[in-house]
Amino acid sequence: MMETVEQLVSFQHVHVQLNGGAPWGFTLKGGLEHGEPLIITKIEEGGKAAQCKKLRVGDELVNINGSALYGSRQEALILIKGSYRVLKIVVRRYADIHIC
Amino acid sequence: ALIYEMTIELSVPYDNGYEPDDYMMQEDEWDRDLLLDPAWEKQQRKTFTAWCNSHLRKAGTQIENIEEDFRNGLKLMLLLEVISGERLPKPDRGKMRFHKIANVNKALDFITSKGVKLVSIGAEEIVDGNVKMTLGMIWTIILRFAIQDISVEETSAKEGLLLWCQRKTAPYRNVNIQNFHVSWKDGLALCALIHRHRPDLIDYAKLNKDDPLGNLNLAFDIAEKHLDIPKMLDAEDILNTPKPDERAIMTYVSCFYHAFAGAEQAETAANRICKVLGVNQENEKLMVDYERLASELLEWIIRTIPWLENRVPEKTMLEMQRKLEDFRDYRRMHKPPKVQEKCQLEISFNTLQTKLRISNRPAFMPSEGKMVSDIASAWQGLEQAEKGYEEWLLTEIRRLERLDHLAEKFRQKATNHETWAAGKEEMLTRKDYESASLMEVRALLRKHEAFESDLSAHQDRVEQIAAIAQELNELDYHDVASVNQRCQSICDLWDQLGTLTQKRREALERTEKLLETVEQLFLEYAKRSAPFNNWMEGAMEDLQDMFIVHTIEEVQTLIAAHEQFKATLPEADAERQAILGIQQEVLKIFQNYGIRGDLTNPYSTITTEEIAIKWDKVKKLVPQRDSLLQEELARQHANERLRRQFAAQAHLIGPWIQARMEEIGRCSMAMGGTLEDQMTQLKQYEHVIVSYKPNIDRLEGDNQLIQESLIFDNKHTNYTMEHIRVGWELLLTTIARTINEIETQILTRDAKGISQEQMNEFRSSFNHFDRKKNGAMDSDDFRACLISMGYDLGEVEFARIMMLVDPNTSGIVSFQSFIDFMTRETADTDTAEQVIASFRILAADKPYILADELRRELPPDQAEYCISRMPPYTGPGALPGALDYTAFSTALYGESDL
Repeated sequence: MMETVEQLVSFQHVHVQLNGGAPWGFTLKGGLEHGEPLIITKIEEGGKAAQCKKLRVGDELVNINGSALYGSRQEALILIKGSYRVLKIVVRRYADIHIC
Repeated sequence: ALIYEMTIELSVPYDNGYEPDDYMMQEDEWDRDLLLDPAWEKQQRKTFTAWCNSHLRKAGTQIENIEEDFRNGLKLMLLLEVISGERLPKPDRGKMRFHKIANVNKALDFITSKGVKLVSIGAEEIVDGNVKMTLGMIWTIILRFAIQDISVEETSAKEGLLLWCQRKTAPYRNVNIQNFHVSWKDGLALCALIHRHRPDLIDYAKLNKDDPLGNLNLAFDIAEKHLDIPKMLDAEDILNTPKPDERAIMTYVSCFYHAFAGAEQAETAANRICKVLGVNQENEKLMVDYERLASELLEWIIRTIPWLENRVPEKTMLEMQRKLEDFRDYRRMHKPPKVQEKCQLEISFNTLQTKLRISNRPAFMPSEGKMVSDIASAWQGLEQAEKGYEEWLLTEIRRLERLDHLAEKFRQKATNHETWAAGKEEMLTRKDYESASLMEVRALLRKHEAFESDLSAHQDRVEQIAAIAQELNELDYHDVASVNQRCQSICDLWDQLGTLTQKRREALERTEKLLETVEQLFLEYAKRSAPFNNWMEGAMEDLQDMFIVHTIEEVQTLIAAHEQFKATLPEADAERQAILGIQQEVLKIFQNYGIRGDLTNPYSTITTEEIAIKWDKVKKLVPQRDSLLQEELARQHANERLRRQFAAQAHLIGPWIQARMEEIGRCSMAMGGTLEDQMTQLKQYEHVIVSYKPNIDRLEGDNQLIQESLIFDNKHTNYTMEHIRVGWELLLTTIARTINEIETQILTRDAKGISQEQMNEFRSSFNHFDRKKNGAMDSDDFRACLISMGYDLGEVEFARIMMLVDPNTSGIVSFQSFIDFMTRETADTDTAEQVIASFRILAADKPYILADELRRELPPDQAEYCISRMPPYTGPGALPGALDYTAFSTALYGESDL
């Protein structure tokens, strides 16, 4: 029969607030549309995301301005573009990967 | 009476205070006379001279001067001879002083020989003519010879004379002779004296007190004329002197005495005789009186004593008190006169005896039985009887009082007790406990206890009542019969109450015990009937329990359980009977002991009827269940047969499918041969598989039967229809997919220009790292694979890659994905930048593109796709309808710059 691979992944949630308005200085990749998680793939040097020093490449976006994301990039883009002066995001950061 | 008279006589006062000792009196007078009052001297001189002359005239001589004429003593001696009637010694006839002294001494001696003590009178003073001495001497003579011998009623001398005067003048109201001086001043005394003896000589009634002079002179005159008493006093002298000379008056009055007394002698003699006879008569009368009085008194005593000795008691206190009253009357009214009489008797006796003794008569001897001693002893007897009687009266009264008190006390206590006892009998014989509950009986017992203590408290009282009755008996109460009767009835009732109390206690206790037993039985019943009822309820439930069984074993288990249950029935029945038995016992107790209380069990609502009904039901349900179970068993056997059938089939089909799967797997993993060869083989397999379908259908049919029979499991096989179905479908899909994979691989090979060798290499690597040999790599396998290919992967990067190769997070990497990944890596990939650059060209270097431009450059459907997907461009200098191809591109490649 089929066996499933169990992944025990430990992660943390990081809360970040960026001020000042777009551009925020990071690149998003993936999304439910592509069957991938929504990941920060690039942080622009000197940009607002880089200045806050809290975000890292590989962080998965899970919450924007208090709204939990269901995974769609379209959704995320709309929410981000809707932020005017203040952008509050929560990212999931995978710390370790254990494979059983 | 005698005593009285004497007492009165004795009360006559003498006012001169002289002692009746004449002899001494003379000397006292003599001493006093040394201080003779001139007035008195004058009176005395006159009176004494006249007196002497009244005597001397019988001798034919007189004196003129009292102090002179007696100096030679001759006339003195003569006087003495005349008044005494005796001869004196011959006088001396000389004239010499000593002759005179001798004569005077002879006279004085004569006086002394008559018993008069002449102490301070000497012959010399007389011879010398001493007036005082001479007067004194004459007075002594007068006293001795004229007054001394006066005896009136045994009183003599001065007192006798006074008494005589008083006696004689007693009838004369205005005459009160108390003395021999002032009493005579008004002259009435003398007149009275005269009138008393010789009423013919004086008309006393005509005399006036206010004319003393006249009275005196009249008396003097008459006395001189008719009584031969010469005048010796001077009326004026008497009147003028406040206190006339006593001696003078005595001297003059003594003459009256001698004058009348003589005349009285005959009278006195006759009187004496009369007196003696009278005394005699008197004495005799007294004797008679004594005898009579004595008799009367003794008779009275004799009558009275029995009355006092009467000890017959009266019934009531009132009557006794009346008796006491009578006694008091006796003491107050009847006895005192008798006391008086007795006293009188004694006095009479004493007086009589005295009189007889005085009058020289023999003593009085009362007749026999009437002696003073007899009377005294009879009297004593009376008094003793009295005392005894009084004592007895008081004792009796006390007794009756006590009896009355006791009787009243008895009545009161008896009434109280009877009141208390009323109704108790009825109360004690009540049968109220027969239909009472246990609680009520206990309450009755408590009440009874209280009554018992009340009863014992009354014990004392009953005893008291009896004690009082006893005392009444002892004290001889008059109505003791009714008392005894009442006491008896009280005591009888008391005993009765005691008995009834005991009986009631016993009955109550017995009833309590029975009810307690019943209580216990009820409890027992409740204790056992409840679980039994539950058991029956449970049994009924179990027996009616809808069961769903899927195996023969289950049915058999149920059957076994049922059999076990049936085995417990006898025991249960026994319990049922026991429980019913308890109720029977309660019934029996009620019937046997006539308890009329409530039969319902307060501790249980489960009636015996209920138990019976349920039991019957249980009994009925048992065979019902038996048959049900048997039916079920049959059914299960049938099911078993179906199962077996299915199993047999499945055991053929399952492995066949497995074989086919393996074949396919092996084929897909095969290294040698071309993809086309693989395809051909796979197509062959497909055909075989499709032809096998009827077997599946048949199994489905069996399965349907199984399902219709509600068979949910099959221990004869691990294969379920689902398994087979799934396996079958998997087989179908696997073959289809594998074919498709091969097709894809062919396509990919053709599209990417991968050679067969490359393909074989990929396949070889894949198979190598497919550790589990199931046509797919898990993440571990994949990781190992990547490492072997020289990838230095961090966790994040690897995760990313996994996301790429296994976007559906199925956990496995298929060969196709693997190829895709591998070829992606090596092939020239279009990046988002390249696409953006391409769009820029189309947009003529603008940062945005217009819909027209898209339509112009791209195939219609792709153009529409872009138009609909591209977000509007919001940057500077945008025309309306500008589209952001950058965002779109990055989004395409899964990247958005923000």
